[in-house]
Amino acid sequence: MSVITEPVIDSVRNDDGGAKRRRILRKVGSYSILLLFAAFYVGPLLILIFASMKSLPEFFADPTGLPESFELANFGDAWELANFPGYLVNSLIYTTVGTTLFVIMSVFVAFPIARGYVKGAGALLTLYVVALFLPPALIPQFQLILNLGLFNTRQGYILLFLINPIGLIILVNYIKSIPVELDESAAIDGCGYIRFVWSILMPLIRPAIATVTVIHAIGIWNELILANVYLTNEDLYPITKGLIVFEGVYGSDWPKLAAAVLMLMFPMLVLFMFLQRYIISGLTSGAVKG
Amino acid sequence: MAAKTRYLFGGGRLARVAPWLMLLPGLGFYFLIGVGPSLATFVYSFTDATGIRGLPISWVGFDNFDEFLFQGARSRDNLDALRRTLIFMVLVTTIQFSVGLLMAVLVNQKLRGRLVFRTLFFVPVILGVAVQGLMWKLFLRPGGGPMDSIFGWFGLESQFLNGENAFYWVIVVQIWANAGFTMIIFLAGMQTIPADLYEAAAVDGASGWQLFKNITWPQLTPAVNTNFLLNIVGSLQAWMLFLVLTGYKNGTQVLGYVVYAEAFGGTGSGSFRQGYAAAASIVLFVLVLILGMAANAFVGRRERKYMS
Repeated sequence: MSVITEPVIDSVRNDDGGAKRRRILRKVGSYSILLLFAAFYVGPLLILIFASMKSLPEFFADPTGLPESFELANFGDAWELANFPGYLVNSLIYTTVGTTLFVIMSVFVAFPIARGYVKGAGALLTLYVVALFLPPALIPQFQLILNLGLFNTRQGYILLFLINPIGLIILVNYIKSIPVELDESAAIDGCGYIRFVWSILMPLIRPAIATVTVIHAIGIWNELILANVYLTNEDLYPITKGLIVFEGVYGSDWPKLAAAVLMLMFPMLVLFMFLQRYIISGLTSGAVKG
Repeated sequence: MAAKTRYLFGGGRLARVAPWLMLLPGLGFYFLIGVGPSLATFVYSFTDATGIRGLPISWVGFDNFDEFLFQGARSRDNLDALRRTLIFMVLVTTIQFSVGLLMAVLVNQKLRGRLVFRTLFFVPVILGVAVQGLMWKLFLRPGGGPMDSIFGWFGLESQFLNGENAFYWVIVVQIWANAGFTMIIFLAGMQTIPADLYEAAAVDGASGWQLFKNITWPQLTPAVNTNFLLNIVGSLQAWMLFLVLTGYKNGTQVLGYVVYAEAFGGTGSGSFRQGYAAAASIVLFVLVLILGMAANAFVGRRERKYMS
């Protein structure tokens, strides 16, 4: 955070004193408001980190301050008590399988729609856009999964993540920017449809695939409601649901809970650091197009 | 347009149906678990469906709607929830819109550390309700939690999520979690404004406020409209932080939560009244539709005013 606290005085230009004073005033004002907001964002996080390193009595004595020592025992305890390894494996399975299946299927939906290679391509695209405004599918979906006998199964849970209209719209828009001449020359060279999509188109639309993969994976990883509704067997819980269960049981042991929350947060923060560009472009293009 | 393009890939008859064959799995799932169930919500709202497999489902006409809106003490609770949903929408939309805009204006300046601030404000968006909720639940524990002791420094007192202002604390968390998203959309809009507009105005000696009022705000119209609509629709449908932060209790629940709780046994009664819940979700859908369309009309007027 040292970047922020460096001197704010701007000594580049040297025009009349009034303008200069105004500029400095504006900078001071800007930083004051930004730091106020930042406190609101950093504060809870810092306190969470501090809390995770305290013992329970220490937390009661001083809930906000620095811990007396950098004790990581709470993390180990939470890791075991919360059955984190099991939940983590579940979350990884749901996220990777759901995302992989969704992305591959979607490219094969998006390509012919973008190119008009199937009848009614325009109507199909409209269908994906309109669906964003329909009522939530939750209740009939539940009846369907129940009657298919997929309630409380991994397959049933993953099935729910095989759709994402925004992801599809992102793919369609990106594919439209790939020149159609490419299809023509590949076809003339005798390249088949499936091979074209799989080994020529896919590498070309990598940025869009990365974007869709990342936002879809984040969605599955963070999902709590569907896990609440469809999974009652503790062995199948994803880590979000596991964390809520942990809170129910060990909720009064605040330092352990803080450690558990941080462990769930950590992978997302790392992912964000590396994939910030894709995450932001995915989320905003979804918003603007939707 | 795409419709003019001919299918290029040759081969036998089988090869010609390849696009359809490969499209079917994705499209099929989309109908099966997306659009289909979405539309079926209307049908379920006229039935007495439960969450129990194999139990016969019968047609009950408008009974669910009648019961939800007009019958007995529960309907009064429902209307309270409806009113609360509207309050939630108004507060979240106005505050989140303003805070997001202010953040965007501030981090769009040439300031040291602006990327740090941007990242900081945006990060909660990707954390998901479980982490967002539990983090704040811990922070807001009454009786000796961190926020409680901070309140203590100023001689204030609150029961936070357990007290009578629980609803408003959830609004705080909701805005904390999503303001960064509003900010990012504003920022994207600001980056499309040509810099020479500002330079020309600055030469004429325009003040910061004049620059904002006469250049940034009108030029930002598309982002303003997007955020306005997204905030309205999003806040009407938001309820998940209530699940993590307060649970289902009178005095806090909003419509979206009523739907979920009635459908999946979250009301405490343990019953899965899915037909009734489907009716409630249609009520919410109509509310979103009406307010969304009103907002859209308003936004369209603005667009004509500024963009012509």
